[in-house]
Amino acid sequence: MSALTITRLSVKEAVSRRLLLAGALLSLAFLVLFALGFNALYSRAASEAGQTETAQVGGIMTMLGVYIVQFLVAFLALFLATGAVSSEIDSGTLHAILARPLSRRSWLGQRWLAFAGTIAVYAMLMAGLLLGIAQVIAGYGAVAPWRAMGLLVLEGMVLLSLGFLGSTLWSTLANGAVVFSLFGMAWLAGIIEFAGEMVGNDLMRNIGIAVSLLVPSDALWRGAAYYLQSPAFLAASSAVGDAGGAGPFGGSAPPSAALIGWSIAYVVLLLAMAARRFGRRDL
Amino acid sequence: MAELPVHTAGLRKVYGSHTALEGLDLEVRPGEVVGLLGANGAGKTTTVKILLGLVAATAGEASLFGRRVTDPQARRQVGYLPEHFRFPDWLTGAELLDYHGRLAGVPTAERRRRIPEVLERVGLAGRGNQRLRGYSKGMTQRVGLAQAVFAHPRLVLLDEPTSALDPIGRREVRDLIRDLREEGVAVLLNSHLLGEVELVCDRVAIVDHGRVVRAGRLDAMVGAGTQIRVGLDRVDERALALLGGFGEVVAVDATTVVLAAEGPDPAAAIAADLVRAGYGLQALIPVHRSLEDIFVGLVSESSG
Ligand SMILES: Nc1ncnc2c1ncn2[C@@H]1O[C@H](COP(=O)(O)OP(=O)(O)O)[C@@H](O)[C@H]1O
Ligand SMILES: [Mg+2]
Repeated sequence: MSALTITRLSVKEAVSRRLLLAGALLSLAFLVLFALGFNALYSRAASEAGQTETAQVGGIMTMLGVYIVQFLVAFLALFLATGAVSSEIDSGTLHAILARPLSRRSWLGQRWLAFAGTIAVYAMLMAGLLLGIAQVIAGYGAVAPWRAMGLLVLEGMVLLSLGFLGSTLWSTLANGAVVFSLFGMAWLAGIIEFAGEMVGNDLMRNIGIAVSLLVPSDALWRGAAYYLQSPAFLAASSAVGDAGGAGPFGGSAPPSAALIGWSIAYVVLLLAMAARRFGRRDL
Repeated sequence: MAELPVHTAGLRKVYGSHTALEGLDLEVRPGEVVGLLGANGAGKTTTVKILLGLVAATAGEASLFGRRVTDPQARRQVGYLPEHFRFPDWLTGAELLDYHGRLAGVPTAERRRRIPEVLERVGLAGRGNQRLRGYSKGMTQRVGLAQAVFAHPRLVLLDEPTSALDPIGRREVRDLIRDLREEGVAVLLNSHLLGEVELVCDRVAIVDHGRVVRAGRLDAMVGAGTQIRVGLDRVDERALALLGGFGEVVAVDATTVVLAAEGPDPAAAIAADLVRAGYGLQALIPVHRSLEDIFVGLVSESSG
């Protein structure tokens, strides 16, 4: 059997969706607006403020931009994943395809691969373009842009796999509600954890850690945000010794190996559970 | 025996508290067109879905070409038209066939050659570059048939293939099925339409409440049901005894006896015997039971 046929079909499906086309146009519009806004603000700061403040404006604007990109990547992952299996079952398009000599596991894996590729390309492109804009306008350079992008892609994979599993368990609508809530919960827990660090509250810190085990998306974002800081920004915040130097939405420490290991295991585990569940289901 | 296109034994399927199949036994031999005939809800679709691995059987055996249906390789030479055929509607007809060809392992050059050929075969010549979302219901069913026969299967499973077609379309499907038989392809045709089954099938399996209540060659099944209506000047014990020798007496009134005859058509022998015995023979009419009579008889028997 010709390899990756389902992957090709799924990529084509993802790309041919109207909503996704609209998403691509909006993303482009966002980048253009970002560039214009950044440029206006930065040139004003450069003419009115000192060098340190100007660099700070550049750093804050960049982090804000990547923060929005992170949301866009997460939404794309959740959008592709929520109906990945359930909508195919509901629409009845799956019967004729699975009647071919193709195992369900292979179908699921190939489809995951297609969406993971789409998300990875989108994340790299958006983050790359955004950092490029920051570089051109403000001469901004991140500490480790490739690592940051890798973490952003991993966050996308985590959310995609979560949505895939949900899609084998529930209807598209119910799954959408569940995974968006979980994503929101992880985001909120990140803020709670940050606040816990600030006030030294262990309970709040532990809530944050527990939730990032359950849904590591926000923890991965914080890791990415750490690598996206400029060397100057990083030096400034570590000099202060302030654990929350990057603010409630950024990252103040590099991601731990445990987090990365767990996130990869999480993706594999959730996919295995999805395959198991989907393999047994009557269609 | 291992090469039987379809073999099931004691197939059972329970959905929650509802039993859809209750020990279904079915066989399709190479190059044979078998009709699975039954009312709505009899279990036809469930049977086909089990054969394709889409639904897991609760108990029993099912295999295609000697391979258990849980093995995807069992479906290597199988084409399938689902009851409600749906497809990614942003594909064109030709792209759909190309994808199915790929999935079935048809090489690129062969796919390119075969797409227009198969489209033409199902009456969609020149429509290959149109997106499927613009297809009518009938065209959808046609392109569904096209994907089912595309990869030169040795077995084709058709689940109510003519439900969306007009009479001309139905006739074309019958022709297609006959062509498949000539090419030696086995066909399992699910239908609740007696006429359809009667016109194309070599064998029929009548399904009711999840089990095959009657199966056999169509001619034998219809032939075995031959009844003879005998009109006499008088009906008495001796006449009944004489007629009883040719088969079971089904109905009697003052001047008529209906006989369910066994074996080869005994009309000539009955006539000779009656006349020799001194009866006035007024009518001797073979009444062929249609498949419909058999079907209605069986189904009402088992539900009554
Ligand atoms: N997924 C399902 N869940 C519950 N009951 C089902 C399901 N699919 C089919 N059935 C029931 O099983 C029986 C057989 O259905 P089906 O095989 O579709 O019959 P047919 O194709 O002969 O019309 C019906 O009573 C139907 O309601
Ligand atoms: Mg049916």
